[in-house]
Amino acid sequence: MPYLSRILNSKVRDTADVVVGRIKDVLIKPAAGKYSPLQFLAIKAKKGGVIYLPFEAVDNFSHEEVSLKLLFNKTGAVAQFPDGLVCLKRDILDQQIVDLSGARVVRVNDLRIGDFQGATCVLGIDVSFKGLLRRLGVSSLDFLDFFKVNFIDWRQTQPVKGFLKLNVVSNDLSRLHPADLANIVENLNVKNAQKLVASLDAEAAAKVFEEMDAEMKKALVRQLPPDQMAEILDKMSMNDVVDFVKQLSEQERNVILSHLKMGTIEKIRELIEYSNDTAGGLMTTDFMKVEPAMNVNDVVAEIKRLSPALRSLLYVYVVSPKDGKYIGSVSLRRILIASPTQKIGKLIKRYAHQATLNPNDSIKEIIRLMTKYDLNMVAVVESTNVMVGVITIDDVMRYLAPKA
Amino acid sequence: MILFFGVLGPGIIAANADNDAGGITTYSIVGAHFGTKMLWVLFLVTISLAITQEMGVRIGLVTRQGLGGVIRENFPIGWTLFAMVAMLVANIGTMTAEFAGVAAAFSIFGISKYIVVPAAVLFVWFVLYKGSFRTTQKIFLLFSTFYIVYIINGFIIKPDFAEAVGSMFRPTVEWTGGFMIAMIALIGTTITPWGQFFIQSYVVDKGLKIKDYKMEKLEVYIGALITNVVSFFIIISTAATLYKHGIHITDAKDAALALRPLAGDLAQFLFGFGLFSASILGAFILPTATAYALCEAFGWESGFNTNWKNGKIFYSIILSVIAIPATVVLLPNISLIKVMVWSQDINGILLPFILIFVMLIINNKRIMGEHTNKLASNIVGGVTILGIIAATVVLLGYSVAELM
Repeated sequence: MPYLSRILNSKVRDTADVVVGRIKDVLIKPAAGKYSPLQFLAIKAKKGGVIYLPFEAVDNFSHEEVSLKLLFNKTGAVAQFPDGLVCLKRDILDQQIVDLSGARVVRVNDLRIGDFQGATCVLGIDVSFKGLLRRLGVSSLDFLDFFKVNFIDWRQTQPVKGFLKLNVVSNDLSRLHPADLANIVENLNVKNAQKLVASLDAEAAAKVFEEMDAEMKKALVRQLPPDQMAEILDKMSMNDVVDFVKQLSEQERNVILSHLKMGTIEKIRELIEYSNDTAGGLMTTDFMKVEPAMNVNDVVAEIKRLSPALRSLLYVYVVSPKDGKYIGSVSLRRILIASPTQKIGKLIKRYAHQATLNPNDSIKEIIRLMTKYDLNMVAVVESTNVMVGVITIDDVMRYLAPKA
Repeated sequence: MILFFGVLGPGIIAANADNDAGGITTYSIVGAHFGTKMLWVLFLVTISLAITQEMGVRIGLVTRQGLGGVIRENFPIGWTLFAMVAMLVANIGTMTAEFAGVAAAFSIFGISKYIVVPAAVLFVWFVLYKGSFRTTQKIFLLFSTFYIVYIINGFIIKPDFAEAVGSMFRPTVEWTGGFMIAMIALIGTTITPWGQFFIQSYVVDKGLKIKDYKMEKLEVYIGALITNVVSFFIIISTAATLYKHGIHITDAKDAALALRPLAGDLAQFLFGFGLFSASILGAFILPTATAYALCEAFGWESGFNTNWKNGKIFYSIILSVIAIPATVVLLPNISLIKVMVWSQDINGILLPFILIFVMLIINNKRIMGEHTNKLASNIVGGVTILGIIAATVVLLGYSVAELM
């Protein structure tokens, strides 16, 4: 079965043995997660110009020369670039592509073409050193077969150029863990990274953003339109938004903020004041808040409603409906074993008997407290007794190992 | 200090990093051995530097990817390999100059290179691997503003400014091999292959867009001007001290003499300190920049957040770009000064090849759209390329004649 690099520039001969021209490119119809059948050959005509020849007219494809089944004038070749197609050489070969199975970004050294269910398709991409040698025409250098050919199954890839413009996004791409996807975005060049992020829905993009390194975030914020960026920020957790906004210049910050909702802007402006290594800077402001009069049943319903928006949920925090003062917390475990009609106020562990943090507490204090009391999650309470956020063990880990 | 780095953009950083170990040494030698005769070359090189760096910025803003990636996606793979190998060789050469600079700086204080160079290797690797690269880079960038002492020194010496400015516009050529070597080194240390890659990646990684072009262009021009004002003063300082007394530079102590009028007995200390910080700044930038460019072109995984298994090529490149130069510098009896100048010659000789790629890219409508080169830039670029090639041919002629 041939490689694309071997086919390019081959002569095309019709049934009358007339050389039509040489292959300039091969066109496929982009489809996610499928072997793409070849649709057209772009041929650099002998008479000059480029013509697009339907692939059905090809008889034999596996030799140095390509032969047609018909006389050239019966093949239905056109001079117009067929709509909605992608070129293998122009858009795929030598370009960056996402290897979904390995969750990484690779460059396409060559493409493997072969038969699948009766059609000639692109089967895999060659990313190996061997592929490079073949392209350079010096495969013979590796006569000891030191390098192995390394194929990535075509269905397991997400090409960027051409594909994302036509909105062909593989399901497997959105199924990747946000951390892996963030890693992929970081390894793409900024142009491709922007296309990839733009192709995700705001919710998925937000999760990816939370995992991305600060430099890439800053680069992307300048590339994405502010309204789209605002939509993504809206879906991100508040402390990630604040951490991110903190790093922008005054001017960029104002542009982004002006696209957000009024309440969000105020909250961000408040949180921005806390330094990064204090409880206020590290905390998450999204947590499960309930009133003491609710019964367990109501609370469970509320948990079900809010759960998708919360990153972690180990405790439910009970807050006074009058002045917003913090009363105490209830663990999910207690809720699970309590009777459905019991008032939540009866189950709480009181604020006074609890280890909590103040927004100004240092990271040292946070670590000491969480280690001493074996906590996975701590409430952050202001000196006015108003609860402002929670710190989870994740927040601490992220601070300690920012590059992981 | 925050404000200082706030206004620091890619142009100024790249230009400042240009005055590395090879730079200081080459400029010192140019002044000490040829007086002000080569100032006209410096004048022309300033214009070339501004124009070529501006092209790098423009390509970065339009393509939003590094030079390695743009070359890979638009040239046959053989040419890509050629360009990347040229860059690799030039960078290994420059890195050799940086280690030679570190060794030369400490030799002033009588500390052996067998202690200093291994220590520098460990230091560089440690800083890069531990990721405090950015902060460290800033500290050394601040140190490297030490060049201002050359400007002050230049005024204290009270050289014949009229004469110096006059020789900027009066082309003088000594038809000797030594002159050609110094001239190519002068060009090659000012406009460098790595500088071309560096400036382009910088604007891409910052996420700058074409609307930032005017600002960046201005900044690049200012950067080119500043760096060459410094070069100008290094040359006239050494011309007014060493050249006048017929002292040839054979080690760093000689070069330090030029600072005597300002610093008196502290001259050696000051020069040693400046040479060290300039060298180590280059030593931080080069290995990573080389590795990123190669990985971008060939699609290997890059970044310090990849593990050893996936990033083995990335780490191997970094290690080689550190280890090979260090080994060369540790060869017994090698002249550190010659290493620093010759490495700049290698840069100069390889530069035209990289510039040809830059010129082909920037004149390609398909890549650059409406942002292709204007005639004036093409003329400057063309003259630079031809000028270096001509000088190289003349130098080769002399070398062959000497061998006969």
